[in-house]
Amino acid sequence: MAAVGESTRCFHCGLSAEVATRCEGEIQGVVRSFCCSGCRAVCEAIHEAGLEGFYERLQRREATLMPPPEAPADLDQYDLPEIQSEFVHSMPDGRREAHLLVEGIHCAACVWLIEKALGGLPGVDFAEVNLAQQRLRVQWGQEEVALSAILRRLAALGYAAVPYDTESREGLLRRQNRKLLFRMAFAGFGAMNIMWISIALYAGAFTGIDVEQRRFFHWVSFAIAAPVLLYSGWGFTVSALRGLAMRYLTMDLPITIGAWTTFGYSAYQTLWGRGEVYFDTVVTFLFVILVGRYLEAMAKRSASSATVRLLELQPRMATRLTAAGEERVPVRKLVAGDRVLVRPGDKVPADGTVAEGRSHVDESMLSGESLPVRKQVGDKVSAGTVNSDGSLTVEVAVTGSGTVLSRIIHLVEAAQGSKADVQQLADRIVPWFVLTTLILSAITFLFWFSKDFDTALLAATAVLIITCPCALGLATPMAITVSAGVGARRGVLVRDGRALERLADITHVVFDKTGTLTEGKMRVVDAVAVDGMEVDRLLTLAASVERHFRHPIAQAVAGDGRVKRYLDCQDAQSFGGLGVSGRVEGQPVLLGNRHFLEKQRVEIPREVSDIQQRIEDGMGVAVLVAVDGHYVGVLHVQDRLRDGADKLLQMLRGQKLAVTLLTGDSERAAARLVDQLGGMRVIAHMLPEDKSKAITALQQQGERVLMIGDGINDAPALAQADVGIAMGSGTDVSMQCSDVVLIGNELPKVSWAIRLGRQALRTIRQNIAISLLYNMILVPAAMAAMVTPVFAAIAMPVSSLLVIGNAILIRQRMRGEELRWM
Amino acid sequence: MDVIYGLIPGMILLGLVSVAVFFWAVRNGQYEDMDGPAHRILDDDDLDDPDTKP
Repeated sequence: MAAVGESTRCFHCGLSAEVATRCEGEIQGVVRSFCCSGCRAVCEAIHEAGLEGFYERLQRREATLMPPPEAPADLDQYDLPEIQSEFVHSMPDGRREAHLLVEGIHCAACVWLIEKALGGLPGVDFAEVNLAQQRLRVQWGQEEVALSAILRRLAALGYAAVPYDTESREGLLRRQNRKLLFRMAFAGFGAMNIMWISIALYAGAFTGIDVEQRRFFHWVSFAIAAPVLLYSGWGFTVSALRGLAMRYLTMDLPITIGAWTTFGYSAYQTLWGRGEVYFDTVVTFLFVILVGRYLEAMAKRSASSATVRLLELQPRMATRLTAAGEERVPVRKLVAGDRVLVRPGDKVPADGTVAEGRSHVDESMLSGESLPVRKQVGDKVSAGTVNSDGSLTVEVAVTGSGTVLSRIIHLVEAAQGSKADVQQLADRIVPWFVLTTLILSAITFLFWFSKDFDTALLAATAVLIITCPCALGLATPMAITVSAGVGARRGVLVRDGRALERLADITHVVFDKTGTLTEGKMRVVDAVAVDGMEVDRLLTLAASVERHFRHPIAQAVAGDGRVKRYLDCQDAQSFGGLGVSGRVEGQPVLLGNRHFLEKQRVEIPREVSDIQQRIEDGMGVAVLVAVDGHYVGVLHVQDRLRDGADKLLQMLRGQKLAVTLLTGDSERAAARLVDQLGGMRVIAHMLPEDKSKAITALQQQGERVLMIGDGINDAPALAQADVGIAMGSGTDVSMQCSDVVLIGNELPKVSWAIRLGRQALRTIRQNIAISLLYNMILVPAAMAAMVTPVFAAIAMPVSSLLVIGNAILIRQRMRGEELRWM
Repeated sequence: MDVIYGLIPGMILLGLVSVAVFFWAVRNGQYEDMDGPAHRILDDDDLDDPDTKP
């Protein structure tokens, strides 16, 4: 009998070691407890390699570990030249280099561990971890060490690594952002230096200045402003001209006109050695606008990565059965009619039908359902799903782009491509703003032209300078950046800043069921015992047998909180998904469905049928238990509603939003959920493709749809919806397709996120109003030829500062919101 | 005040040098990982080596 202490912590990761999965291992002669076998294996590997300094480093930083991620299967495939060609960079001297995306890096101690462990492998030249981006750059000699050996080493230490082709994934976006950063930095340098010159000039304007020195300062300003305008302002000029060619007034047009006329006028003044110059205005203006653009670019996400993650799910190699025996071939070479062998743990390489064998297949990536599905001869299997217990021979029916997985990839791509850039509030105002400015400037020039040319030119330019849309350019990015920051601190990660604006006027909320509204994990929700058996005793007996199996139902029973200790169980045996048996304290214990127990000659009382019917009506699973050949009770195992689901729906209804539930289950199962949560529309029997179609249908009715989901099957719908929110516990793919991720899986935060979006939109509107108001006051002054350089230098930053200050206030405003939902 | 004729171009030149350094640093990936290197330098010593312990 194994006694169990309540507060045992895992020696490796420090999490509490729960009874269900706990195990012991000997580390340096001392027996330690671990929360799972994964942690034990990693800990042993670390000590074997003599890298136990890792734990001390961990402690020093007060960092905590997590249990290691599941190791990727089939690492040998990465040694094949045809697969390596996709991501490995070969050097002229025969060395090879690759970037790997590493899962499981927590802190700097992990950096040390990885670099130290890989550096110790013969043949590895260097390994360099990027902590911020969780990436690893590794260089090795092909003759001395195989890439699979490097990956295996990482897996042993508890890190799952997949190759990552940096160039094709985000090369273009990164280069664009980098260019923007350079332009901003150069404008910043110009602004800082020209400021000193300007201060000297302004001081001179008040106290008197030598004419020669003033000319010198003008020329220096010119020398700084010209390269800034040409280099930093080049992007605006090009895009303004392009916009003009396409007959569209963009924000870049007033920027370009403002910058060039101001610069041209100042250059003209400098050349003839008279009057005032506005070079400093040109440079600071460009700098501020570039800051806004950079913030905007940072808040944007790259759209490509979701499909790449999906492609990662596709197996690359398959075992083909031929007359000569087995052979390993790339999946691309498979044709319809081929027979492939799928071993336990392998991914199914292509869509097809089972020709031989029987097994359970984990189809959670397609259906979102956590229970493995039974497959036998004649059943259909899909590419990318994982075979769990028995070997299967599959006759290939469809390969490549025809598989269900490929269709999902297509849907995601199509949805992302079709999502037209919704015109943002500021964009709608800009053309009118530009037109008005140009007309006002022209009127000013014509009015003063009758008096004298110089005043006319000065006044007309002043109108253009004053209306420079600094504040307008900052209005949206500042509000979005601050809101995203506020969200991140509350566990609402905004991946696409612009989605916040769209979030504000959502009319319809669509939920996925499994894994989103429910936890996506099986739990024992009820237990009924008969024949003088106590419920606790029943659960203990069941858990003692079930803890030897990995099936989700077995894990649910074994991990139940009411089980205080496990009894010794001998001869634990599984009967292919029907049931399990074992011998506890000398008594044979049977667990399984009714059919299984009857087959083992257990007599089942009549009233059990009613209980079973009730459980199965609600899509639960009834696990019947028999001890020593007598029926003793039944366990009701079911996926449970997430905490706060009812609260969220209440809040959404309070916000007058329509709610729809999408589920792959039957209407009957969904009906039970609706009973618990209250009124919502339900669409049942949903295939992955149907989900995005359902969203499209809603959108065609004029609804603005918010989709909340977690699985790969939700990915197309998340991409299709106006805003997609993914659960933090969900699949990577769903997160990549979404605009917002809920880190802590707390459902009530959906409502909070909507309020954050509304707050962001309100602030953007205020900001636009501020900048327009500023123009309404100052433009008349400029038209009256009353604006001097000093006046412009003071007035212009004020509008930008007001906009920035107003955006920062979002933090305070959301503080009130927090209290309301907590 | 004639000194400014030399100092101001000098200031701009120095500024340009720092801009060039910044461009080089970004291209060279110096800003790619803002957290890792700060720790890495502290981890170079072997903890178990008695000589390095204070």
